[in-house]
Amino acid sequence: MTQTGPISAGKLNIFARLFYQFRRSAKALRIFAVIAGPGIIVMVADNDAGGITTYTVTGAKYGNHLLWFLILLGPVAYFVREMTVRLGAVTKRGHAEAIFSAFGSFWGWFSLLDLVLTDWLTMITEFIGMTAAMSIFGVPAWITVIGCWLVMGAMILTGRYWTWEKLALVFCVGNLIYIPAAFMVQPSLPDIVRNSLVPHFPPGGFTNDLFFLLMANIGTTIAPWMLFFQQSSVVDKGMQEKDISFGQWDTAIGSFLTVIVATFLIIVCAKLLPGKPVESAAEAAIQIMPMNKYVGMIIALGLFDAGLLGAICISLASSWAFGEVFGWAHSLNQKIQEAPWFYAYYFFDLVLAGTVVLIPKAPLVLITLFVQVIATTLLPTALVFLILLLNDQQTMGKYVNTTWQNIANISIVIVIIVVSTIYGVSTLFPNLLQ
Amino acid sequence: MNVLAFVFKSLVTGVRTINRKYATPQIEMTLFVKVCLLTLRLYLFLLVGLMAYKFTVSLK
Repeated sequence: MTQTGPISAGKLNIFARLFYQFRRSAKALRIFAVIAGPGIIVMVADNDAGGITTYTVTGAKYGNHLLWFLILLGPVAYFVREMTVRLGAVTKRGHAEAIFSAFGSFWGWFSLLDLVLTDWLTMITEFIGMTAAMSIFGVPAWITVIGCWLVMGAMILTGRYWTWEKLALVFCVGNLIYIPAAFMVQPSLPDIVRNSLVPHFPPGGFTNDLFFLLMANIGTTIAPWMLFFQQSSVVDKGMQEKDISFGQWDTAIGSFLTVIVATFLIIVCAKLLPGKPVESAAEAAIQIMPMNKYVGMIIALGLFDAGLLGAICISLASSWAFGEVFGWAHSLNQKIQEAPWFYAYYFFDLVLAGTVVLIPKAPLVLITLFVQVIATTLLPTALVFLILLLNDQQTMGKYVNTTWQNIANISIVIVIIVVSTIYGVSTLFPNLLQ
Repeated sequence: MNVLAFVFKSLVTGVRTINRKYATPQIEMTLFVKVCLLTLRLYLFLLVGLMAYKFTVSLK
């Protein structure tokens, strides 16, 4: 009896501690389930129609040889987006308003107007992707455009941020459609593992084409609208400083998912379209159809889903930015009567972008190229402002960037600025890199 | 016409209010911040200049 007492107490102690840990983890998981959303949505929307096209071309042209590079882009995307989470949670301001407040009206107007133009042009590219994808199934462009307007309109008219977010997460799950497609084509696992873990250049070495495609992959990973979108959605969701760690996890999971989706798409194209000249994701889907009907359909459906998710986020990024700066009511938690200008701008943007795609002989290729050039003028400013704000003690308090965060973030931002500038300028002058 | 004039007037008033509200930058203007802003201005001048050049060449 004298021995069992302490043993029982010890056992009880272990069970009590395990139960406490379980309760604590379960509670953290519940809080995470509530807070998660902005990071995952923005990162999965990162694989928009333009992104899907870039990955398709990468896989077809260079096989699995650039998987390692894509995996490296995951942490890059995380570090940049994590800053918007902290900035949004601490200042309770969207990125546009934060720029106005910190740097004055000149930089504020420049960023806002540039964002509006970039977003509108990018929206057009999303509609191009969606109509091209649905045309594979014989759906006319006008039906696709009107259908998208209705879906996107219905999503925001629920009057609750929470509902909108959960619907957007459903479309995020749709983006994972490339994972089963990769299993269906039965790729070589050792080849994938080797190309994912060992950095190397594809056969043929470092060429201009390869450089251009690497830049395109970086460009599709960090776009200006994503910074504005994520910070505004963090604010609209009402995230507090105490929620920052959950927001960081949300962003990390989103970064992981975006790399996973891109990797699996590249694997599919590397297996089915090795060395074939492919210009777009829709073209890839058409070429794959005779080889594997279901995989071709998956590529097309994934392209549509990516375009829709991109359009949903981009249109909101602009509406939020306008609302913040003009002082309009600008929350998805407000009904249309309470925030009329916010919703009016959202629909205006949506209808204008969709209509351009329906105009016969509209210069769609020129628009796609123009997006890359215009984004070059906005991305560096948005990134530099982000770094400056995250280093401002007065703005960030104890959430200011640490030395290591600065080393990582400033290095990443410098590389992105240099690469996106070369990308934009080489789009303007295609013979520059010849 | 009256509606258009009203919208335009409201817009101008709104822009003026915003300009007044954000007239003074709130960030601490350290040397690093000043250098970054100057570099950004030069970068944008260069980029816009390149775009204007390309546009002019394309028109010819």
